[in-house]
Amino acid sequence: MDIRKRRYALVIDSRKCINCKACVVACKAENRVPIGDFRNWINEERQGEYPKLRIDFEPEQCHHCEHPSCVRVCPTGASWQRKDGIVLVYADDCIGCRYCMIACPYDARYFDEESSTVGKCTLCSHRVDKGGIPACVETCPSKVRVFGDLDDPTSRIHELLATRRYHVKEPQTGNGPQLYYLV
Amino acid sequence: MGTTRMDRRFFLKTAGAAAGSAATVQVGCLTYFKKGRSASADRREVPTTCELCPNKCSAIAVVEGGLVKKLNPNPENPKSRDMLCARGNAAIKQVYDPDRLKQPMIRVGARGEGKWKPVSWDEAFDFAAKKLAEVKAKYGPEGTLWSSTEGFQEVFFKNLGLAFGSPNLVRHPTLCLASVNLAYSATFGTVPSFDLLNSRYVIMSGANRFESIITPDTMDLIGGVMERKAKLIYLDPRFTVTASKADEWYPVKPGTDLAFILAMIHVIIAENRHSKEFVAAYTTGFDQLVEHVKQYTPEWAERETEIPARDIIRIAREFSDAAPRSLYYAGRRSSWYQNDFQMRRAQAILNAIVGNWDQLGGMVPNAKLPKGEFLFMPWDEPKAPRVDEIDKHFPLAAKGDGVYLKLRENVLSGKPYPVKAWMVYKQDPMNAMPDQAKTLKMIEGMDFIAVIDVQMSDMAWYADVVFPESVYLERTDPVEVMPGIWPAVVYRQQVVKPIHDTKPNLEIVQGLAKRLGLSDYFDFTIEQWVDAEFKELPIPLAAEHMKKHGVWAASGQPSYGKTLTPDHRFVTKTGKIEIFSERLQEAGYDPLPVYSAPKQPPENRFRLILGRVGYFTHANQSNNVWLNEFMKENDLWINPKPAARMNIKDGSYVTVTSSVGAVKLRARVTEEIRPDCVFMLHGFGKKSKMQSLVYNVGASDAVLLETAWDQVSGNAAFHETFVNVATA
Amino acid sequence: MHEFNWGLLIVIYLFLGGLSAGLFFAAGLANYLEVDGQPAYPRIARMGALLAPWPVAFGSALLILDLGTMHRFYKLFLHFRWESPMSIGTWLLTLFTALAFVYCYAWLPEDWRQKLFSRLPTTWKLIHHLNVDLSAYRKTFAMIGFPLSIGVGIYTGVLLGAVSARPFWNTNLVAQMFLFSALSSGTAALLLALVLDRRNPVEQRDLKFLVWLDVIFISLELFIILPYLIHGSLSVLAVKQALWLILGGPYTLVFWVFFLGFGLLVPLGIEVYELAPSLLKGKAFHGDRNLALAASALVLFGGFLLRYIFVYAGQLSSFHRMGMLR
Ligand SMILES: Nc1nc2c(c(=O)[nH]1)N[C@H]1C(S)=C(S)[C@@H](COP(=O)(O)OP(=O)(O)OC[C@H]3O[C@@H](n4cnc5c(=O)[nH]c(N)nc54)[C@H](O)[C@@H]3O)O[C@H]1N2
Ligand SMILES: Nc1nc2c(c(=O)[nH]1)N[C@H]1C(S)=C(S)[C@@H](COP(=O)(O)OP(=O)(O)OC[C@H]3O[C@@H](n4cnc5c(=O)[nH]c(N)nc54)[C@H](O)[C@@H]3O)O[C@H]1N2
Ligand code: SF4
Ligand code: SF4
Ligand code: SF4
Ligand code: SF4
Ligand code: SF4
Ligand SMILES: [Mo]
Repeated sequence: MDIRKRRYALVIDSRKCINCKACVVACKAENRVPIGDFRNWINEERQGEYPKLRIDFEPEQCHHCEHPSCVRVCPTGASWQRKDGIVLVYADDCIGCRYCMIACPYDARYFDEESSTVGKCTLCSHRVDKGGIPACVETCPSKVRVFGDLDDPTSRIHELLATRRYHVKEPQTGNGPQLYYLV
Repeated sequence: MGTTRMDRRFFLKTAGAAAGSAATVQVGCLTYFKKGRSASADRREVPTTCELCPNKCSAIAVVEGGLVKKLNPNPENPKSRDMLCARGNAAIKQVYDPDRLKQPMIRVGARGEGKWKPVSWDEAFDFAAKKLAEVKAKYGPEGTLWSSTEGFQEVFFKNLGLAFGSPNLVRHPTLCLASVNLAYSATFGTVPSFDLLNSRYVIMSGANRFESIITPDTMDLIGGVMERKAKLIYLDPRFTVTASKADEWYPVKPGTDLAFILAMIHVIIAENRHSKEFVAAYTTGFDQLVEHVKQYTPEWAERETEIPARDIIRIAREFSDAAPRSLYYAGRRSSWYQNDFQMRRAQAILNAIVGNWDQLGGMVPNAKLPKGEFLFMPWDEPKAPRVDEIDKHFPLAAKGDGVYLKLRENVLSGKPYPVKAWMVYKQDPMNAMPDQAKTLKMIEGMDFIAVIDVQMSDMAWYADVVFPESVYLERTDPVEVMPGIWPAVVYRQQVVKPIHDTKPNLEIVQGLAKRLGLSDYFDFTIEQWVDAEFKELPIPLAAEHMKKHGVWAASGQPSYGKTLTPDHRFVTKTGKIEIFSERLQEAGYDPLPVYSAPKQPPENRFRLILGRVGYFTHANQSNNVWLNEFMKENDLWINPKPAARMNIKDGSYVTVTSSVGAVKLRARVTEEIRPDCVFMLHGFGKKSKMQSLVYNVGASDAVLLETAWDQVSGNAAFHETFVNVATA
Repeated sequence: MHEFNWGLLIVIYLFLGGLSAGLFFAAGLANYLEVDGQPAYPRIARMGALLAPWPVAFGSALLILDLGTMHRFYKLFLHFRWESPMSIGTWLLTLFTALAFVYCYAWLPEDWRQKLFSRLPTTWKLIHHLNVDLSAYRKTFAMIGFPLSIGVGIYTGVLLGAVSARPFWNTNLVAQMFLFSALSSGTAALLLALVLDRRNPVEQRDLKFLVWLDVIFISLELFIILPYLIHGSLSVLAVKQALWLILGGPYTLVFWVFFLGFGLLVPLGIEVYELAPSLLKGKAFHGDRNLALAASALVLFGGFLLRYIFVYAGQLSSFHRMGMLR
């Protein structure tokens, strides 16, 4: 029973991503994500003219924002944030108004037609709470994502953020996103 | 690719040891592997081995309420490096796919019409046995063809063919890697692994490691390249994901890699950059090489390859400077060109002269682990010669695998003798072979076709009887040793009971064997077989360990340089690394790689090239809902320059025509391919309606590809087809 | 990933909510303005009061229909979350709708009320207690209703404007724009009702009042749109990119021609044209029935389009580098 404060986050080394989609399928299986919906995805950017070309891949999912706009706008409190930073949806309270989807600057949420409620990345809290790591983190061939506790100085992400340059996506949204992309 | 050989010699040698092993069998034993997670009442974790591609990654299956819920990577396997790819993760859908084969079926309509009668296993076995007996009576056992692709239970299928008396077993290697394997064997007497984890300089010719996943190479390379430990030079007419991660990408003119390599050798020798000690101590024929490569200047190679001479020179220097921690990576699928063997031979020679053999970060001969074998009654050697006349046309090729395309030609012509029954295991020749129309002709000529598969492949669609095999998560399979720099043993055990009326291959083989009077050869259970294999593994309490962990790896660091002793004999004629090969010369081939320029497409035609994406295996995973989401339809990559000339718009339909077929699919106008090539992915345009997501969606490249093969190995030459493209 | 999560139902809901707010406001105003101790525009006041509750009631029903889990809509009332515009809006709208109904009731002509209650079974005793004359409280209700109706008008804009994730919306100007559009829509609706009411001939006084009111509201709306465009063009890249949606992008035509042109400038022109003689030459106002009809219909059309453009274009806009492209 560790009552120490935690702040979970992901550090992402996009350059290593090979767009293999293992993380996407792992999430689908682990969290029964419906066909056509995704909790995580790979952004692709292709540029240049033959033969000077460039492709960048960038894995993305819910940023588990410090100040989650999705939580702020939710009229019922179904969207909520745990003390350790994980942003969740309590399906029983969700009325399916989709306001949170519109309010998420990262388009990280989807509407689950089956339950008519909103779904999103849970940071695999059910695994994390048992001492595990998220499914997408575990399965990745290139180990692009590193999961950890920002408040734990011995955590690998702590070390990465201390020694490498990084950025977060669209900080101007004021959401305080917690996916740290190494550069 | 590791296969299990069951020959007579082995039987005689170890016959005595087998008797006891059958006694200690534990039927259906599942040990639940714990990974520090709390388990709900009916939650089980079963370690097993993925079968969605040839890599054999270790997985831990999570079962809840009797259903497979999740597959997690098993970190204990050094080859799979704690990962499962998209396909590995999607294997769950293989079990619960509504399209999968659910019971044996016998064709009732015309071949390919899709009218099936579900039958009992007895009926299916009786039917097949009767047909096989008829063919045997009329044409002899050699009138039957047994084709298969590697898999843990393939051995039973092959053994049935052998016990039946057929010389005509044919496997996938001559559609895949026969030329590269033969080239390295001819040079080093073995096919080494490549130490990408520790290499500092890697050159790859179209080995698309970041999409065509090979463990541990894919993961080791990404670690090396992206952590800036290694430099990657990548040659490919396409800008693949691998190209996008490489330090330098060269859109080499297709089929000219050999010129690039020969010019590198030229530079290295001309500048005296080869490893003199290594060459002197371990190789033979270097002097002939010196003379031979004088003609292959970088300037000449620039004209052939379109890679600037100064880059070739620089790369040759950097490569030799980094040696022995530098690699010209062999590549896996080498079914490319008619001179493919010589291209791979040149790579092998280039690697040899810089002395990266058996070195950290270089090529490493595979470490192997011993494994026991179950012993069974030996059968007689087949009386007839092989129908592909391999001895005559491909004296150096691997006999047991056959030469697929030559075999098809001979079967079609009926010479040297008729072949009238076709047994297929875990293979889809309709898509794996070029020229689908020709394969269909071969199918038409057959009196009988049986297919053992887990889904209704296009081949199964044309069969007379389809035997549904249980998918891997429903099976216990033989133990597999994976040789390599980090050798390991993996075990596949049943995770859930079959959910439909399917059987593992062994039981299918046994059902047939019983009716063919061959039961004596298959008088064992899978547990007995596996137990015999466990017996000789170098693992304490091997059976328990393998059931609990699913994998075992030799601990400690790999040892390099074991073969670098004065008395080491390479498994070649001279016992040395053969730069100049007398064996090749005697067989009538060039003893040193001679360049011959590949044919180039005439104006307004394009070379069709092939390749993969990370989330499909060959043609067989596009119907998996979780993977199909990423690509619902394949398209034809074409460069914007020719596309503009022909008024082809991105996303519009085009007709693609070769000398043997035509298809219609969407164009993907992209900068990411040379203007003289087009590319399309495998696995679409299926004929089988039981692949509902890809039936008649997109197009199959097999329709377009022409028949051609490499002269030495007989490996298919898939990149020699020129096509017309026009707006549809 | 990117799709429209909110569609036409939300557009209609926002429009109808604003319409009710505008109706109430204009009617209240008409009730409040007095000449010699008598309401100056009693007909407008009554008309507005009778019409005001219905659009918002209908719109709220649509909103509930749009919910994924309609049966759970009561959860909206189990929580009050001051940070959530939707939660605040729910309460605000509920209060406003209730008040609008009461106000409507207070304006019911005596004979209508009696007729209504005579239809109800006499055994429903409790109900019959409600048969009271509230006309004395009209002013009080209007007083309470002013802030509520302004609140509702603003709220329809805040619902979007408070979403910081959508650069197209993310300015407080949206709330003001929606408010003035709501007031103008309500005014126009009254104008329309007035003209369409064939039983009672239009009184020029009433007409003039409404046309005046509308000119003021439309002008205010225009004065918000201008800074919205300027402010946006000078803003951060994401907002600039978002504005592209109406400055060359898919909503350009509908914004400039249909909304700004036909929905604002043309009716404004008509109304100014109508007012001009009285304004410039001091002549008596003489409104044309057909012109008033056209102007009011166009204003309503414009009010609807404003919601349409903002709901759809706003959802397309994104801070996401790749969001706009996908
Ligand atoms: N056009 C074209 N042709 C090619 C290639 C190409 O890239 N393009 N690649 C070539 C290469 S490198 C190779 S290796 C070959 C591969 O050729 P194949 O071996 O034919 O390819 P796969 O798709 O791996 O497997 C064939 C069948 O095995 C079935 N299968 C899968 N799992 C099981 C199982 O557990 N049991 C049974 N009984 N069946 C199973 C699948 O359903 C599928 O129908 O193709 C070659 N041919
Ligand atoms: N995801 C996934 N991984 C797989 C498989 C799979 O099906 N899916 N299959 C496995 C198997 S069986 C195999 S054999 C391997 C195959 O893996 P690889 O050996 O990497 O072969 P391909 O993926 O077929 O890629 C061939 C590449 O060569 C390029 N090419 C074509 N012509 C030329 C040329 O003249 N010169 C050069 N330099 N390049 C050229 C093509 O554009 C293509 O990108 O992948 C294995 N891994
Ligand atoms: S699993 Fe890893 S490498 Fe593959 S797509 Fe996801 S993040 Fe990229
Ligand atoms: S990324 Fe979106 S869904 Fe996730 S916490 Fe932030 S605002 Fe909410
Ligand atoms: S859809 Fe559900 S979680 Fe999202 S804002 Fe509405 S009630 Fe909250
Ligand atoms: S953390 Fe879990 S829920 Fe979130 S994307 Fe990864 S696998 Fe999916
Ligand atoms: S690479 Fe993927 S498909 Fe192949 S064995 Fe490993 S997990 Fe399975
Ligand atoms: Mo292969």
